Amino acid sequence: MIVSEVMTTHLVTVTPDDSLSHAASLLRQHQFHHLPVVKFTHELKTGGQQHLPHSSWPALEGLITSQDIDLAATLGTENSLTNDQHPWEERRVAEVMNRSIMRVTPTTSVAAAAQMLVEQGLNCLPVVEYEEALNTEPEEQHDERVFLVGLLTRSDLLIEFARTLGAFEPGMNLHIPLHTGNPTSLAKMLLLAAELHIKIESIIVAPPKKGIPHAATVRIGTINPAPLLVRLQQAGIPYSFADFQLEGDTHG
Amino acid sequence: MDDRPNLSRSRLAFDQGELAYDFGPEHPMKPQRIVALIDLLKTSKLWNPDDKQCQLPIRAATIEELKLIHSEAYITAVQQLSVPEEIDPFRNEIDTETTQIIMRELAEQYGFGEGDTPPIPGMHDISALIAGGTLVALSAVMGLPEGGTFTSENDRPLHVFHPTGGLHHAWAERASGFCVYNDVSVAIARLLEEREAKVLYIDFDAHHGDGVQRSFYDDPRVMTISLHETGRYLFPGTGDVLEVGDGLGRGYAANLPLEPFTEDDSYIEAMNSLLPPLVITFAPDVIISNHGCDTHAWDPLTHLELTLSSIQAQMRLAHQLAHSYCQGRWVAVGGGGYDVYRVVPRAWSMLWAEISDQTLPERLPEEWVQRWRPMWLKEAELEEEIQQALGKAPGVASFPTTFLDRREDFPAQPRRITITRTNSRTVAFLRQLLLPATVRKAFPSTQRISPMVGIFDLLHIRGIQTPSRIKTIESSAGPLLLRDFCPPSLVERLAPDSGLHAFARLPEREHQLLLNLAKSPDCALALAHTPEGEIVAQVTLAPGDDWWDGFENVYEVTIEVSSNWRSMGIAHKILDFALELDALEDMILFAMGLSWHWDTDSLQISVHRYRELIARLFGSQGFEEFATTEPDISMEPGNILLVRVGKNVDQLVVKRFLNRLQSTPHLARW
Repeated sequence: MIVSEVMTTHLVTVTPDDSLSHAASLLRQHQFHHLPVVKFTHELKTGGQQHLPHSSWPALEGLITSQDIDLAATLGTENSLTNDQHPWEERRVAEVMNRSIMRVTPTTSVAAAAQMLVEQGLNCLPVVEYEEALNTEPEEQHDERVFLVGLLTRSDLLIEFARTLGAFEPGMNLHIPLHTGNPTSLAKMLLLAAELHIKIESIIVAPPKKGIPHAATVRIGTINPAPLLVRLQQAGIPYSFADFQLEGDTHG
Repeated sequence: MDDRPNLSRSRLAFDQGELAYDFGPEHPMKPQRIVALIDLLKTSKLWNPDDKQCQLPIRAATIEELKLIHSEAYITAVQQLSVPEEIDPFRNEIDTETTQIIMRELAEQYGFGEGDTPPIPGMHDISALIAGGTLVALSAVMGLPEGGTFTSENDRPLHVFHPTGGLHHAWAERASGFCVYNDVSVAIARLLEEREAKVLYIDFDAHHGDGVQRSFYDDPRVMTISLHETGRYLFPGTGDVLEVGDGLGRGYAANLPLEPFTEDDSYIEAMNSLLPPLVITFAPDVIISNHGCDTHAWDPLTHLELTLSSIQAQMRLAHQLAHSYCQGRWVAVGGGGYDVYRVVPRAWSMLWAEISDQTLPERLPEEWVQRWRPMWLKEAELEEEIQQALGKAPGVASFPTTFLDRREDFPAQPRRITITRTNSRTVAFLRQLLLPATVRKAFPSTQRISPMVGIFDLLHIRGIQTPSRIKTIESSAGPLLLRDFCPPSLVERLAPDSGLHAFARLPEREHQLLLNLAKSPDCALALAHTPEGEIVAQVTLAPGDDWWDGFENVYEVTIEVSSNWRSMGIAHKILDFALELDALEDMILFAMGLSWHWDTDSLQISVHRYRELIARLFGSQGFEEFATTEPDISMEPGNILLVRVGKNVDQLVVKRFLNRLQSTPHLARW
């Protein structure tokens, strides 16, 4: 799975010249923690490059977070009596934004992006395309620019995780234990499901974890699991309803 | 109950054409269940097929009506898939194989498949007839012309039962879980198109009523309540406690996910602590209930372990709520139920008896048993196998001879105590999420016995106050009397002011709430009333429950002022009066402000401003705002928790309390 399948493309952005109060109200209104700072192409002195395939993409200038604004506001209040600085609300985004930020491209693997988020303690990663990648004639370039095509947040990953589990589709989960990782029982179960015209919404087989037996979780899109279950019993394939057993232990 | 049948205002909506909703002999939802039901109704003389007075003729829903809920593309697809291949002249022109692929893709796209909901010939017409049945039923009890014409108002049905209705899984643009058109959603949408009304939908089916909930998730005119087996193991997987509605509809969807293997007692307890208080806060004009009886222990599709006695309790409660709050207007639909011969006919005959106020005979008619027992026997072996595959204890391999189940046929579940406890917690959490504190206190959970009986002695530890103090105050609209520790006898003598309806919508029902509070041994009720005896404000003190369990001196304060008496400083005065307590400094008091209960409209102020007003009101009594993870407070930034810690409270208790503010909700799944 790559970043472009998961990222958000409907973006709320600010420009470097916007005021901090504008940025703060956007953050509050959308309940965001960060905003990309961009310049739109028509504002750029592009040196005659008007034929970019995605000319609507804005150039990424930086990232501003609610923390940056909090800091500016706090410092602004402390200094308000002693210097002639503008009140923080009137300061420009460009003054406080982060310019050097971690970023990924649409083809970065989701696993790599997740690792970056966790290891760097970030909440979001701008997804960018570089100018040379868009230009068929590299020698015509004047300066390298970075275009913002999307944003990947922790929420995007969580939603994708839930979606991958099949959680948004009507259905129910079955656990198929995989003895020493042998997938035969899973394969047989899937063949039976196909025979009975039962839709498979999701299959998760994760590497074994300490204390948790190796098993496949299959989300089947049916209200009527009985025929499949009877066939599984007849074929001697063990199964359980998600974590019946675990639950009993936790709350018993 | 009156023994003589009084059928004049109860009708059965059924059309032979509905029996064609048949997905084939292997499919679990068999029309035979309806045939067996009608036969049982006839043979037990509960319903007379020749008596026009107990029937409601139905018609198919029109495309326009279906479009109120379903997308046009979906309806077109259903129509295309309804045409049997061999008689479609159009298809002969194209290569049959290509056609088959196109049709299969169409089926796939719109949720039809060989498994659950296979496309069948005539599917559109049959499904539209079922949708129309529920639509006509609801229109009839609501007095709309679509419901038909009746000779007099007394002839108009008050209750209608539509057994084939209740196809609650259908979505706007896809078929799901045996459901093509969502009859209940279409009926409600049609009603709301015609006139403003508040509709309560109660779903007793073992599966979450996802389709109906989706249709009205952001609509405050429709409250959907679904009691079902938790989606952790069962189709469709949704129906979590935290699904409470969205936008304006927040608080108008309620979901009670029950543990697998839940039995009668736990179910009844949960249902009784939830439905009555929810209904009083919503104040519906009509109730539609789905009586899916796949909750029964013998059902081959679910893991619930109910018997007909709790299934009967559902019907009785729905009936009683309809009469208490909706002038009797009630539509019941069938829904799921897959023990075709042993459960469905008995459950829904029982429902018809309840609807039509008839006494249920004890025994099933012999001729009915003779007719249907052989049908069951043919499948009994498979049923047994299915029970085992589902992880249920082997059922009793016998055919019932009585309407009610025999207790001995249902041995106790091994994990009963754990299951009951988990269900109680889920109910407590849901009550906390959806019910204002005043209503919660007036309808205490049945499972909870408060350790705080004798609140008066607890609050007056020095024993020097008279039982109920009286104080006169002046307001700009005249003098008011303040009374604390109001006994039920006093509340009964007083009447509510016309603007006192913050929680139960109607002053007379608000009065009922106050009476419940006065009767409750662990609540202290203070009232402000006019010399003429009209209640204009109330303050309630009650021990913190659910989230706040485990403290002896933590009390929740709630306050309400009639909308006719606002902005006169009455709130300050009654709060001040109610908190003149000997034990004040020995207690921790708290108040929760939940923005979705605030009457910001009539005051024409923003949520933010209202929040400030509340903070200032309680601030005048020494309350301070505290941050908390309490699920309700943390759900919206506008919500506020105000706390007053008495000076003499043990520091250890204070510390425990502050820890509680930041603790994690204890839900079954967390």
